[in-house]
Amino acid sequence: MPFKGRWTWGWAAALTSVLLLPAPASGQKSGSLPLTHYRLKNGLNVILSEDFTLPVVSVAVAYDVGSVHEPQGKTGMAAVMENLMFSGSANVPPRQHFNYINRVGGTFNALLMEDRTVFYQTVPSNRLSLVLWLESDRMRFLEIGSRAFEDARAAILEDLRDRRAGDPYYDGARAFDQLLYSDFAHSHSLYGSEEDVRGLTLDDLRAFYAARYGPNNAVLCITGNFDKLKARELISQYFETLPRGRDAAPAAEPLALARKQVVTTFAGSASSAPAFHLGFRLPAPRSVDFYTLTILDYVLLRGRSSRITRRLLNPDAKIAYQLSGGIEKRRDRSVYKIFVIANNEAMAERCQSALFAELDRLKSSPLSEEALGRYKAMFKQDFMGRLSTTVDRALYLTDFFLSLGDFQEFGLELDKYLSVTPADIVGIVARYFSPENSIILNVRTK
Amino acid sequence: MKIRTALSIGGLAVLIAAPVLSAQQERFRKTPPPPEPLQQELGLPALSAPTVLSNGLRVSVAYRESAPFMGLELLVNAGENVSPDAEPGLATFVASLLSRGTQTRSATEIEEIVESLGGTLFVTVNQDYVRISFHVLQENLDPALDLLAQMLLQPQFSEREIANVRRIITYDLQEKESNPEFVAKRQLYRLLFKGHPYEKFAVSRDLLRNWTPRDIQDFFDRYYRPNNAHLIITGNLSLSQATRKISHVLNTWPAREIPGSPQKPVRPPDKDRVCLVDLPQSSDACILFVGTAFPRPDPADRFALTVLNQVLGGSLSSRLLMNLRESKEFANYAFSEVDVFRSAGLLFIRARVLPDKVVPALQEIQKEVRALATTRPAVPTEIELAKTYLLGNFPLGLERFDQFTARMADIIALGGGEELWNGYYGQVMLVDADRVLDAAQRYLLPLPFVAVIAGDRASLTGRLAALEAYDIYDSKGQFLATSTKDKKGALHEAGGMRPEFQRRPGQK
Repeated sequence: MPFKGRWTWGWAAALTSVLLLPAPASGQKSGSLPLTHYRLKNGLNVILSEDFTLPVVSVAVAYDVGSVHEPQGKTGMAAVMENLMFSGSANVPPRQHFNYINRVGGTFNALLMEDRTVFYQTVPSNRLSLVLWLESDRMRFLEIGSRAFEDARAAILEDLRDRRAGDPYYDGARAFDQLLYSDFAHSHSLYGSEEDVRGLTLDDLRAFYAARYGPNNAVLCITGNFDKLKARELISQYFETLPRGRDAAPAAEPLALARKQVVTTFAGSASSAPAFHLGFRLPAPRSVDFYTLTILDYVLLRGRSSRITRRLLNPDAKIAYQLSGGIEKRRDRSVYKIFVIANNEAMAERCQSALFAELDRLKSSPLSEEALGRYKAMFKQDFMGRLSTTVDRALYLTDFFLSLGDFQEFGLELDKYLSVTPADIVGIVARYFSPENSIILNVRTK
Repeated sequence: MKIRTALSIGGLAVLIAAPVLSAQQERFRKTPPPPEPLQQELGLPALSAPTVLSNGLRVSVAYRESAPFMGLELLVNAGENVSPDAEPGLATFVASLLSRGTQTRSATEIEEIVESLGGTLFVTVNQDYVRISFHVLQENLDPALDLLAQMLLQPQFSEREIANVRRIITYDLQEKESNPEFVAKRQLYRLLFKGHPYEKFAVSRDLLRNWTPRDIQDFFDRYYRPNNAHLIITGNLSLSQATRKISHVLNTWPAREIPGSPQKPVRPPDKDRVCLVDLPQSSDACILFVGTAFPRPDPADRFALTVLNQVLGGSLSSRLLMNLRESKEFANYAFSEVDVFRSAGLLFIRARVLPDKVVPALQEIQKEVRALATTRPAVPTEIELAKTYLLGNFPLGLERFDQFTARMADIIALGGGEELWNGYYGQVMLVDADRVLDAAQRYLLPLPFVAVIAGDRASLTGRLAALEAYDIYDSKGQFLATSTKDKKGALHEAGGMRPEFQRRPGQK
C-alpha cells in the first residue's frame, strides 16, 4: 500500500527551458547537485539530476492534485485516484505496474498529500525506459473501469474505517483542522468523508483525472545514474506527444493570522486519556521567515534535547504521555501544530501552561549561539539526509520546484537556514507564537 | 457549482475521446521497452585488508568522497554467543549500556553531544558480534571519535542506568512478544540452535538476570578490547588520516587475551518436527515458520542458495506465494529467507495462513521445498528472473548511508570478502540451473525441517488433527505438552517437560 504522508507544496509559474549550473560555492553538498530543468511544449516540467555513485535511477512524477482540489460533496477523490493510478492503463494490465517494477528489483511508492500526489520508483539504471513507459501510459491512458473504481473506493472506505478505529483522536484532529484552516478546501480530511466517498461516481473520477492528471499539471524528475542526452530522448519519446490538459487554478490566498485566541472543546473522543491540539497560523512557505521558523521547529520539538520535548516528557517530571507536532506546509499556507496526550485533565492544563512558558522563555532568555548550533546541526543532518538517495533527491527537487516555482535559490537554502541567529528566533516567537495567534482544541474523553 | 460543471464536461470529454486516443497510440507504447545493457562494475570502495594498530585494533576505511557524513562502525566480537550459558541476554544488556553514560558524561549529555554533532548513535547485537554505529556530519569526525573513545575507555555502568536499560529491554520484549511473527521466529531459533551458543540470542523476559554493575563491568572488561574489535570509517578520509586520528584517541585502549569462544558448528535438526506456540489472542490467522539449519555454506554455495531462495520464496512472483496465496488461497503471504552466520546457515519460510488451512499449507510448503530438489527443479527462466531481481535490487540496498555502512560492516564481521561486495554481480551471474539443483539437493533435501505454528491453541487443536505429533509451548517458549495420535487416530496430550527440553535456554 503506498505510503501516505505530508509534503511541502507550491505551484510553479511558467518557466522557460534553462540549464541550471551549480549554485555559488556554499560549502554544502546541495549546491553541488547537478541540475537541469526544462519544460516540454505540453507544459510538463522536467528536472534531471545525475549521480553516478551507484547503477540506480529514480523517477518521480508529482501532480498538482490533492484533497484541496476536491469540491464540497466530492471529498476523497484524490485518495481514490491515487489508488486508481495503479489499476492499469491502455498498455499496462491492472495492478501490473508493481510487478513490472518488482521483477527488475525496483521499488515504488506514492505520496498523497493535501495539495500534491507523487508517484515514484527506483530501479537499476538500465531500466529507466521501463519506468518512463509506465508513467507516460498512466498519465494519458489510464483506464478507469467500474470494477477498478469499486475496488479503489472500497479500499479507501476500509482505510477510513481503519483510521477511525485505530486512532481515538482521529475525529478530534479533523475538528481541529476546521478551526485552524478557514476554508473548506484545506479543512476537510485528506481521505474525505465516508459519506462523500460512497457517493462518488465513475464519471466523477474520470472528470477529475481529465482535469488534474495532464502533463501541464505535473513535474517529472529523474535522478541518479543515467545518460542525460539519452534520458531527454526517452522523455521526448514518451511524454512529448501527450496532449496538454486543463490549466490549474491560481493559488489560494495565504492564511491570515488569528487576532484573538480561540479555545474550544471537542467532546467526542473515544480515548480514555485527555488531549489537546495547539496551533499557530504561520506565513506562506515562501516567506523569508520560513528559514527561522524551520530552525525554531528544531528548538521546540525535534530531538530529545528540544525545549518542549524536554519540558513535557522529562522522565523525572513527565507531565505528558505523548507529544507530536511541527510545521504543516501546504501550497500557500502553513501552520504550526502541537498535539499532546496527558494522563489527566490537570496534567493537560499543566502541559498548556508549560508550553506557553517555554515560548515566553525563548523571548525573555534568548538561546545561546552554542545551543542554537546544536539544533542547526540536527537540522543539517536531516537536510543532508533528504539528499542521500536518488529517490530522496527526486522528492526534494520536485518539492523545491513546486514550493518556490523555480531554482534561483537552489544551493543557497542551507546557508540561509544555518545563518539564523538567536535574535531571529526571538523575533519569530514574538511574531507568530503569541497567545493571540493560538488556537486550542481541548479533547475531552467521553 | 462552477467546478461541478467543469468536472462533468471534463468527464464527458474523456468518455468520448478515450477510444479515439487508444486507436491513435504510437506503436512503441504497446509493449514495455527492452532493458539497456547492465552496468557491470559496481564501483564500491574495496574491502582491503585492515591496518592493525599496536594494541591490536583493526582499522579499515571505505572512501566515499561525496558523502556528507562520516560513519564509524565499531565491530566487537561480543555477540550473544559469548554470553555465559546461564546468562542469556548479558551481551545485549552490556551493549545497550554503552551509550548510557561514561565517567564524565551522563546519558543525557551523551544524547546532547550526539545531536550537536548532527549525529545518530545505534548499537545492534546479534549472535556473533556487536556493531556500534555512529554517524555524524563530515566536519564532526574528531569530536565523534572523542566520544567513542570515552565510551570505550571510561565506561560507567550505574545502578540507575542498569535499571533504565532493564526497563527498556523488558518493555521492548513485551511489545515484541505480542507479535506472532517474533514469537514464532524466536521459537524456531531455539529449536534449530538447541545446545548451540546461538540459542542464547532467542532470549525472553523471564531469562534476564538482575545483573549488577560488577557483572556488567566484568563482561565489558573481558570482551571490549581493541584486539577483539574492528573499526571501519566511511567517508571522505584516507586510511592514513583515519589511522592517525584513531591512534590519537584509542592508543591507550589496552589489549587483553580474549576468552576462547570456538566456532561450534551447528548441528542440523535430527528429524522433522512440528510445534505449536499458543497465542490465545490470535484466532483470526496463524503464523508459520518452517526452517532448517546447516553448517555455514561456502561462498559459491551461498550464491546458489540465494538464487534458490529467490525462486522458492524471495519475491512476489516466487513459487511459495504463487502456490499458497494466488493458487490455493491458504495464505496472506509466504516468503523464504536465507541467513548466514559465522558458524551456521539458515533457510526458513514464513507465512501467514488461515487457521483452517494450516496443515495443508504446511504440506504445500514441504512439497515446494522438496520439489526444488527432486521433481520440479528451478528452470532456466525462473533462474533468470531471480537473477534479474537480485542484480537489480542489490545496489538499491546500498543507497542510504546507513544501509551502505551496515552492509559493508556485516560482510567484514562475518568474514566475507569482495565476492559479496564488488564481486556480487559476477557471482550471481555465475549461478545456473545445475548449481541451484545441487544446492537444493545438498542443503534442503537431506535436512529435516522444524515447523513452528504460532496461533490460538483452542481454535487450532482440531485443525491439527492430521499431524502425527506436535509439541505445544506457551508464548515464552515454555514446553506445555506433546500431542500424539494413537493407532485409532485419536489425539492425546501429555504434559510435563520433555527430557530434551528440561533445560531452559541458557540454563546449565
